[in-house]
Amino acid sequence: MVEAANTPCSAVTKTGTPCKNTALEGSTYCWVHQSYTPDERVMEQDRVDSPVNGEDLATVVDENSQEQLAAELDEMISQVKEIAPDYTPPPFSPKGLMKLLQENIDRFSPPVRLQILERLRSGIGEDMLDIDTWKGIWYMLNYTVEYQSDFLKRRLTGDYETDEWGLDMEFVDTVRPFLEFMHHNYWRVETTGIENIPNEGCALLVANHSGQLPWDAAMLGVSVYNEHPTQRLVRTLYADWFPTLPFVSAFLTKMGQVLATEDNGARLLEKGEVVSVFPEGIKGVGKLYKDRYRLARFGRGGFVRMALRNQAPLIPVSIVGAEEIYISLAKSNTIAKMIGFPFFPISVTWPWLGPLGFVPFPTKWFIDIGEPIPMESYQSGDANNLVLVSQLTDQIRNIIQQMVFSRLAQRRSVLFG
Amino acid sequence: MGERTNIMITGVSSYLGRRIAEQLLQRSGYKVIGLDGEKPSEEIKGLDFIQADIRNPLIAELLRTENIEIVCHLGFIESEHPSEPTFDFNVMGTMKLFGACAEAGVQRILFKSHTWVYGALPNHSAFLAEDQPLGGSRVTGSGRDLLEIEGLCNRFRKQSPETTLTILRFAPIIGLNADTPMTRFLKDSFAPILLGFDPMMQVIHEDDVVVAIVQAVHSDSNGTINIAAEGVLPLIRLLGLVGKLPLPVPHFVPYCRSKWFGNLTTMSHWPIEPDHLRYSCVADINKMYTELQFTPRYTAEEALREFAGIRRMSGYPTRSTSLSYDEERLRDTIERRRRDKVRSADSPMKPAERG
Repeated sequence: MVEAANTPCSAVTKTGTPCKNTALEGSTYCWVHQSYTPDERVMEQDRVDSPVNGEDLATVVDENSQEQLAAELDEMISQVKEIAPDYTPPPFSPKGLMKLLQENIDRFSPPVRLQILERLRSGIGEDMLDIDTWKGIWYMLNYTVEYQSDFLKRRLTGDYETDEWGLDMEFVDTVRPFLEFMHHNYWRVETTGIENIPNEGCALLVANHSGQLPWDAAMLGVSVYNEHPTQRLVRTLYADWFPTLPFVSAFLTKMGQVLATEDNGARLLEKGEVVSVFPEGIKGVGKLYKDRYRLARFGRGGFVRMALRNQAPLIPVSIVGAEEIYISLAKSNTIAKMIGFPFFPISVTWPWLGPLGFVPFPTKWFIDIGEPIPMESYQSGDANNLVLVSQLTDQIRNIIQQMVFSRLAQRRSVLFG
Repeated sequence: MGERTNIMITGVSSYLGRRIAEQLLQRSGYKVIGLDGEKPSEEIKGLDFIQADIRNPLIAELLRTENIEIVCHLGFIESEHPSEPTFDFNVMGTMKLFGACAEAGVQRILFKSHTWVYGALPNHSAFLAEDQPLGGSRVTGSGRDLLEIEGLCNRFRKQSPETTLTILRFAPIIGLNADTPMTRFLKDSFAPILLGFDPMMQVIHEDDVVVAIVQAVHSDSNGTINIAAEGVLPLIRLLGLVGKLPLPVPHFVPYCRSKWFGNLTTMSHWPIEPDHLRYSCVADINKMYTELQFTPRYTAEEALREFAGIRRMSGYPTRSTSLSYDEERLRDTIERRRRDKVRSADSPMKPAERG
């Protein structure tokens, strides 16, 4: 294919500048814009092919952002100074700064990395970032390095924060990348209705349980933590079998998860936390493949009582996709009893493939968060009203079952959604 | 308020008993009678000491003669292995003492217990209220005896409603003079933990135990109250704060040992029952604030940091010299004494306030 010499493409890129590619022979457009409809050629949104340059960005980054950046930096510095008043960074040098930037920027995910670089770049272009701001960045980056070398020492001397339930945010941050990989890349979880979770104050998420291992609880937690505007940490109530298991018990405690007792749940709600419960419990998680998406009995209504005691809104959640991650064909009570497990699944891969049997199938997941059921109209004494409790239990079970069915009706493929 | 309250402290020769007696004597609203089988190692000024065993059948007579209104029962023998002599003193002694109190018309009894009577079980809530059924283990002598006494207390409350019985359940006590399974665990050359388990722990500083008991004598609270320092820490973090490296052991090891060797060897290197290294046993301390109106002076973290200092110094032969440079501690003591003096001059009956 021979290109016409020096004829520029006549499309307009998303930043409003003319496309810089050369047009193809016999066309007024380049190879990028060739296949587009006339409207798209002008309004093109995402396929900017030319490298991003400073001029383009100047129009993207609005006037206030530099001031905002400076203010944010100042605030961060003051926070750090509060924690570590004695810390003084090594003397400032542009070369050292670039090196630090290179070392540290890789830690962030690509979109965040791009955002940081764009902001810094645009700052230089506008001459808005004076030397003090650069010194601020220098300070922050040096502090990060110092902080990380300090990490091991602090862990060993017990100099870290845990809350009264054992939640350890440093541990959460360590585990998050793996969970986020499972969430974004492996199961490609799609979450809807995140706005139904309040920005502050307590809420009780009630979800269906499935998938042999409690992956669904972890993914619900990641969804809410990542996508909710106030980054709420979900406290999942887990079955009393887990505390007996080594590593699992310590892991769950450090992640801020709590044993499912009515007292624990009520206390967490009282503190204004978002609590999630899976009232089906072991019956739900150990469902056979043939029973998938048919909700089991919802416990004894303990979750309704804890919501009533604190007038916490009940938020139904349906999780679709988790039923197919392990295909459980049968359950062996004999083996379960022998090794002290609540159930022992025989699946397509487990126990035949040994540890490989733990690898879940990469199905496509949907987490739908429904409309909250307000509890304000009830008195806290209503928690003792057995009729009301069982009514609410059935009501929320039906809502979740309906949500699951309506999502299943829309789903075309187990693997691709 | 001219009348002085007559109070009897059993087990007064123990460290806690002595400190509590001293505190009460300072307040001048009390006539304190100390009871113990052994003489206190150093004389307590102003204390009316009587050398007798709590199992003595004439205790009721003594209580009546001295017109005792409050009995503070601290006489308890700690033991790792269940044994008959300690059971006889702890449980039967307490039973006889309580019986004597009811007979002599004593108004109040205070008893010091332990939060571990709830037991460390996998299905326990994260915070155990006072009405939680007791599920403690009977492996250690102290544990078994305390559970027996708690059962006894329960019956006593029903049988003798005219005598109020206050039980203070303390979290593991740590401090310079305290000698509890927890301090032994933290002072040992290595700290075994169970691999993959990191239970939540509570502690309380020994000074706060003294203040809490004195506070309970002052207040008319009855019933059972959990007492622990503010802050619940994971075991590994607790060990880090004390400056020890944890030594993880597979969790079935201590259980196997107890199965095979019985009680002979099990506890020698497991000052804390394996259950407590595996599951949390954390008490809800709400009632301590609301009913007893007591706030511990040390948070758990402060108490542990102080204990870390004590532990570090214990390796050096002359503890007295090391303490002679400990200005902070002495200053704290002087401050406290000064405050106590001002307070007792102000109003002799005013309950202790927290510093």
